Amino acid sequence: MHNSYTFSEFSKQSPKGIFIIYVAEIYRAIKLFWIFLFILFKDFSKFSSYGVNYIYLGVVLLLLLLFLRAYLIYINFQYKIAHQHFILKKGILKKTLIEIPFYRIQNINFKQNIVQQIIGVFEVSIETAGSKDTEIAIKALSLEKAETLKATITQGQKLVNKVVEEENLEPIVKISFFDLLRVSLTENHLQNLFLFFAVVIGFFNQIQQISDSFGQSEALDDYISESTSNLSESIVLVTILVILLTVIALLSSFVKVVLIHFNLSAYLKDDAFEINQGLLTKKSIVLKKQKIQNVTISTNPLKRLIGISFITFKQAVSGKVNNKKKEKLIRLVGCKKQQIEILKKSVFHELSVEKSVKQNPDSYYKKILFFWTGLFLLICYTVIFYFINHIEVFYSLLVIIPVTTLLLLKKVKKRCYQISEEMLIVGKGLLETHLTYLDIFKVQHIKIKQSIFQKGSNVADLVLQTASGKIEIPCIAYQEAIKIYNHSLYKVETSNAPWM
Amino acid sequence: MSEHFKNELVTNLPNIATTPFQKIDKKYFKVISINFFLITLFICIGLFLLQQFFFSESILKYNIYEYIGVILFSFIFYLYFFLAFPKRKYALREKDISYKSGLLFLKTTTVPFSRIQHVETDEKPISRIFKLASLSVFTAGDSSDDLVIKGIKKQEALKIKEFISSKINA
Repeated sequence: MHNSYTFSEFSKQSPKGIFIIYVAEIYRAIKLFWIFLFILFKDFSKFSSYGVNYIYLGVVLLLLLLFLRAYLIYINFQYKIAHQHFILKKGILKKTLIEIPFYRIQNINFKQNIVQQIIGVFEVSIETAGSKDTEIAIKALSLEKAETLKATITQGQKLVNKVVEEENLEPIVKISFFDLLRVSLTENHLQNLFLFFAVVIGFFNQIQQISDSFGQSEALDDYISESTSNLSESIVLVTILVILLTVIALLSSFVKVVLIHFNLSAYLKDDAFEINQGLLTKKSIVLKKQKIQNVTISTNPLKRLIGISFITFKQAVSGKVNNKKKEKLIRLVGCKKQQIEILKKSVFHELSVEKSVKQNPDSYYKKILFFWTGLFLLICYTVIFYFINHIEVFYSLLVIIPVTTLLLLKKVKKRCYQISEEMLIVGKGLLETHLTYLDIFKVQHIKIKQSIFQKGSNVADLVLQTASGKIEIPCIAYQEAIKIYNHSLYKVETSNAPWM
Repeated sequence: MSEHFKNELVTNLPNIATTPFQKIDKKYFKVISINFFLITLFICIGLFLLQQFFFSESILKYNIYEYIGVILFSFIFYLYFFLAFPKRKYALREKDISYKSGLLFLKTTTVPFSRIQHVETDEKPISRIFKLASLSVFTAGDSSDDLVIKGIKKQEALKIKEFISSKINA
């Protein structure tokens, strides 16, 4: 082991850290002021040469100020390790002192964004379970120092007994670029398309708001109305649009998959997984098996055709599950069947649950699903008819009704659950199929819900709350629900295994 | 390890369906009523102000119907609260706490003590008049709909809190 660093004294980051912080600060400034920059560039020609000089001066001054800030952040950011605590001092004016006891540290992850890759330093983030503010990121450390820090902390935790011969460990999952291509081709393109449009629409909204406030809305409005009137006239345009959308969907899936999962490799260790992935931002995540709350194995028809599925590990989150917390979902894409088997076996002690009888929800579930969808369609068509007042509108039902019926039947069929003494599998999905595996003793609390209509049919919904979100089993027979309810409580209350 | 672990009441499967539940304090309905009255009052004042300053002549003709609508609406709500009130029940067992409620939508929640992160009691202004408190229990994860029991006697709430705290730390 390297004994060159003891961390007993306060130490700063690698001096290269100044640059990393500087770039991060510039990036932050651009993100804050990009709309001004946009306006500036748009009307750049309108400024007199005199004005341009001022702009340059301002930019230079801003850059200098940011550099000063970066330097001060660097100087004031100091950390050390003392009596089983990680201690961090930071802040330029508002000084903060953070102390984290080792046992509260959940994960230590390495990360490298593009700048950090070029300079050759690592970002070390220390995750703690519990309050959300105590996630610490040390922006720039040399690899050697980062690994020593990690080793020191994990040894202090006494969770890693010995560092086994890490060098010749075979990855259990390794995804080549070609595999990744196949993964991205079989992604849920519709979802990615929506995501893409959400981003684009958000972007345009922002621009429009700004240009509105500058009284330039007419030009944009004209442009939009012109293009929309063209659109409704010509079928050719629509066809082009469809092709374009397909291309966009494929591309956005591809970009998304490659950016996140480039060079994905997962290693299996004694009590943890180590997962490395990412193109621009390389991430190295250590996932302790004990901390995994539940595992979801998902696939879709396309993926099933080429025999791959993806697996999502969920860790405990604190507070509301929001987008930021999505990082805690760790996903391995493009796993083959035998790899899935290995992963499952290593996380769960026994999988007898897979052999138990697959149970579907009561027929009430189907009825209620069809009822609500029917009602929704009815309302939609009433509104549309009110505005468009052409009987031709209803022709579209010839397509809509069979498609929705088919989809709903698929949804009903995919809803299922299997339960054994120790474990529960819940299946759901519409086009995709998700199977969630859960150790029953990891349930946090449990809820049974029954509406007055459900009571008539003697069915109920069961909601199992875990530390990483809820798992729902809708519309099962009331007696069955009570049985699972009691059984889960029994399992939780008699187990003394730690849930994380 | 195992000698520290006691497992008294749950040696046989506890059944939630046969567990005796306890109703919450009757006085809490007064709190609900007062809150309800205040909210209805606010809506009526809001409506009055709207009519005075913003509504055009054509709408003003229907003045009286608007008030009737608001009051009828809130009366139906009030009736629902009244009928649903006796359904609010809680149960404290050796190793968990449960709460159920709902008239049209029945809900039963159970939180095992071993998963509780912390317990909280708080008294809202109107509840305080009647010496009532609410007890909230938080678990890990998305804690937005963990268990909350509103309207139990303050002493009772503190007692339960103590009981749970001792169980968590045990």
